[in-house]
Parts: sequence; structure tokens; C-alpha cells
Amino acid sequence: MDGKMSVMIVDDEAIVRESLFHWFKKYGHFVETAASGFEALEKLGKYPFQLLFVDIKMPGMDGIELLEKVKTDYPDTLVIIITAYGSIESSVKAMRIGATDYLLKPFKPDQLSLVMERISVQKRLVSQYNYLKGHLEKITRFDNIIGQSSEMEKVFSLIPEVAQSDASILLVGETGTGKELVAKAIHAESRRSHLPFIAINCGAMPESLLESELFGHQKGVFTGATRARKGFLEVVSGGTLFLDEIGEISPKMQINLLRVLEEKKITSIGSREPVNVDFRLISATRRDLKKEVAEGTFREDFFYRINVIMIEIPPLRKRKEDIPLLVEHFLKKYCQETTKYVDHVTRDTMELLIHYDWPGNVRELENAIERAVVLSKSRTLNVEDLSFIRPAGKPISKTLSLREMEKEYIQQVLEGNNWNVTQSAKILGINRVTLHKMMKRYRLERPEG
Amino acid sequence: MTSKKKSVGVIPVGDVPESTLQIIADHITGRFKLTTQILPPLEQPEYAFDERRLQYNAGIIIEAMEAMQFGNHDKVIGVLNNDLFIPIFTHVFGEARQGGKCGLVSLFRLMKNSDGSTPPKSLVLERVAKVALHELGHLLDLLHCEHKKCLMHFSGGVDEVDNMSLELCEYCTIYLQDKLG
Repeated sequence: MDGKMSVMIVDDEAIVRESLFHWFKKYGHFVETAASGFEALEKLGKYPFQLLFVDIKMPGMDGIELLEKVKTDYPDTLVIIITAYGSIESSVKAMRIGATDYLLKPFKPDQLSLVMERISVQKRLVSQYNYLKGHLEKITRFDNIIGQSSEMEKVFSLIPEVAQSDASILLVGETGTGKELVAKAIHAESRRSHLPFIAINCGAMPESLLESELFGHQKGVFTGATRARKGFLEVVSGGTLFLDEIGEISPKMQINLLRVLEEKKITSIGSREPVNVDFRLISATRRDLKKEVAEGTFREDFFYRINVIMIEIPPLRKRKEDIPLLVEHFLKKYCQETTKYVDHVTRDTMELLIHYDWPGNVRELENAIERAVVLSKSRTLNVEDLSFIRPAGKPISKTLSLREMEKEYIQQVLEGNNWNVTQSAKILGINRVTLHKMMKRYRLERPEG
Repeated sequence: MTSKKKSVGVIPVGDVPESTLQIIADHITGRFKLTTQILPPLEQPEYAFDERRLQYNAGIIIEAMEAMQFGNHDKVIGVLNNDLFIPIFTHVFGEARQGGKCGLVSLFRLMKNSDGSTPPKSLVLERVAKVALHELGHLLDLLHCEHKKCLMHFSGGVDEVDNMSLELCEYCTIYLQDKLG
């Protein structure tokens, strides 16, 4: 029996209370006794006991009544029923109401020992379940998507609305904007949340493999098919299927998927038997599919089938006010993962992060913070830690002359590279000697300190 | 582990062979390094006999012993031939309250194997020594231990008594040293 528990013995017979009290004391448990159901409830209201041993026959409130009250008000408290009467009916009733186990008085010493071992295992499993549940919620949680800009607020307000229906959703956004996170959030908010969420990147695999992955195949239909395999359209059974990069699939696959969406049936490769399928489809693309439909390179009927509801996810450059919040979030995340302690970002560094255009969006920002945290040698993240970011985003005044613009750009590159001349020269496409000459000409010097 | 502060009295309750008492006393001296003395016998505890169960209530005997004077002995282990019980259990091999003064050991169920056969006398004496040391452990405030081989592991049957050793595990040893000072 690992771990000490808080135990209360509820019995009107003092001698039973005393015997059990001393037995549990020998295991180092915290033990309390109560002579009636009323006293037990009073004590339970003051202290959250984990385990109750309750005699079934007591004057006033009997064990069954107490069990009912405990299971209603303190559902996490485990109850073991003890009875000298051994009637099957009362024991069955107690188990139905939610008793964890029952013991017939007097019991063999090892019976009580066994019950306690079972409780210990159950406690461990519950604790593991709670941990995993919490972990899963953390992964799929709605608030896992960071942002307070008006663009993101629009997305946030749409998620719970669209989650309630089964309509197909098309998420449109540049690479790295968090389309899969939004898809997971929709799934987590939907009635299918307890069923699988399967994500497939259609752009990452050739057509034949994608077909096999989605539809499954029979044994021996092609080289390497050594056994039959169910496709994800069947495996997802009731859950949500997320097809990323849907714009990459071939016209043939578009027809196949269109048929599945209309008929809700699939036939695996090499089989003639159709199988019913049930899933909610969320697709994502970074391409302008409407334009491709107009140009005739993407099927119109398939487009309208997957695009019942469209959600546009803005690129990071259009919601720059979210950058400080995201930086803070990723700092915390990578400090935990790397066990390094970096909790501050200098004003210059934050400006650099805000001014940068982030073509790779949130994913690029996350990678940048991760790399900076790993490389950082202090508690503060400074510009030097992010020297790998090209400061292309700093706005350049439109009224500058060509010379002034050249000076400003050279200065930006030097600052972004911690005044490393070799590195800056490489970015500027000139040699070191030329850069030194230009720095002298424009009086560009590394600031002291 | 030597301590001159604590001494243990081993007392027969009713008719108990002298050799059994001596084995218990020797094991307490040898294992726990405590001074021991075999005390004059107490009478058969008829006051604790339960006519319905035909067994002796260990709790009642311990309460009676707690009220007695045993010279300068800090702890007393009573040894008897009768079948013991505490109200919730069908039987017990021994009984002691956590941190109490008096404990009991019964020979009754230790003289039979779980299959009903009779064990050799040497095995019975080993079992008696184990239960006596286990109960003394409780009197010295040691708790039940998870290590199956440890002397302080809970034994519900004679097979479990046979399975545990006469030794304390390393943690219980440290705890005992701490308790004995």
C-alpha cells in the first residue's frame, strides 16, 4: 500500500471503531472515527477524507443512506461498506450506489489488506487519468491559441459557433499561422471531442500513398501490402479529420473525396465492399483556392463541398499587437522545456521582434524564441540572442535619399548581427573591406556598453 | 542499536513452554539489542474469552495488562497458547497498539500450516519469534512496511509469516535506531 490516506471509520460499535483505528494507525494513515452517519457527514464537511469504512447497520442514518449522501456531495471519497449481516441485497445495493467494495464482519486480516491494495491501485490509476486528462486538455485547449488582436478575436468567436455544427470547414491562412491549432480547438469544442482527431498533411505524400492512407487497402493489392490496413477515413470513426494542404491534392483524389463526402461511404483499395463512415471534415490551405477554381485548376464542386464555412487566419504581420503576448508565452514554454531561466526581453529586442515581418508566422516566431532561449547566456533576451533574424521589417522613411537609405540599411544589418562585420557583409553581398570603408564613410560605430 | 534505556519483559499468559519464552527473549536481545527478562506467568485470561466466537479478545487482554505494573520494563510482550481475535478480524497472530506498552503473541495458529499439516517445532519457534519482534516493533512505534521481506510487513496468514525475514529492511532499521536513540 503506497502513500498514506485519510481514513474515517463510521460504526456505532466502539469496539469496531477502535479495532480498525489501531489497524490503520499501524500503516501510518490519518485515521478518524465517527459513531454515526450524522457525525461522519459533519467531519467530512470539515476535512476531505479519501476513504470511509461504513457499517451498513447503524441507528438513525444507516450505511446506505450515508453512502448516498457521500456519493452526492463528495463523489471523490471512496466508501467501503462493512456489514455483519452479509445480506447480498444490501451489498449489491451499496455497490450500485457507488461503494468501492464491501467486507463481511469479521473478515480475515488479509482481506482488509487486499481491499486496501486494490484501493491503492485505483488511486494511482485515477491520479494517472487526471494527469493525462489535464495534459490532453492542455494540448487541445481553446486558450492554447494566443492572441488578443481584433483579427484573432474574430477567429475565437467563430470557433465555438462552428464547432456545434457538422458542416465542413476550410481554414485559410499562410504557413505557420496555427491552422492545425484552430482545427484542434474546433474539435475540442465539438460533440465529437471524445473521439479521434486525425491530422493528415496532403502536401507531404504522393497521391498513391495518400489514397492508401485515407481509404485503406486489402492484403496483397500492391507490393508491400503484406496485410490489410484500415484507412484514416474509417479509423477516425465519429471524430474529426483534418486535411492540411488540401490545395495540393490531385483532381482524381478530389473526385474520390467528393464522393465520400456525399455518400458517407468508402471502399478500400482492392475491396468491393463499401463501409459506412462518419467524420467531420476540416481542411486547410495556404493557397487561394477561389482563384484556382476560377482558373479551372481546382474542382468547383469539391471546393464548395469543403468550404461550407471558411475561417481566415490572419498572418502575424497583420496582428503585430499579439507579438509581445506570443513572445511571453513561448518564453515560458521553452524555459520549462529547457529548464533555463529567461524571463525578460529588452525593449530593443521586442522592437526587433515586432518590426520583423515573420514570413513563417507564429511557427517562425516560436522557433526564433526557442533558439534564442537555448543560446541565451543570461536571464534577459537581448538583440544579440536574436541576431539570426534579418531586420528587414524596420520601416524606412520614404523621404530618404539613396545615400541615407544605404546608411540606414547598413546600420540595421549591423545591429541585427551584433555588429559582426563578416556576417553583415555576407548579408549585404559585399566583402568585409568594402563594409569597413562604408562604415567609415557613414561614421557607423558599434555603440559602447 | 544498543540501548540501555529500554528493557523488555516477556511474560507467559497461562501455560507456555519455557523454551518458547527463552527463544523470544533471545531474539529481542539479539536483533533489537534490548535487555530482556522473562517474568512470572499471568493467569489464563478467562475474562477475555468470547463465548460466541470461542476465542480470546486481544484488546481486552492488552487493556488488562496495561493496567498492571511490570517493574521497570518499558515494554512487555505477553505470550499465550489461546486463539486471539480483535472484533473486526477472524483471528490475529499477535496484537499491539502503535506506541503502546503491552503486546501479545499467540502460538495457537502458528502451530499449523495453511494446509492443516503440522510444521516442525523449529519452524513454529521461528514464526513465534517473528510475530513477537513484529509486535514489539509496533510498541516501539514502527509502522507496517511495504517491503514483503521486512519483519514489519503485515502478515495475514502463516505463509506470509514464513515468507518474511527476521530482519528489518534498511528503512525500518534506521527508524528503529531513531526511536531507540
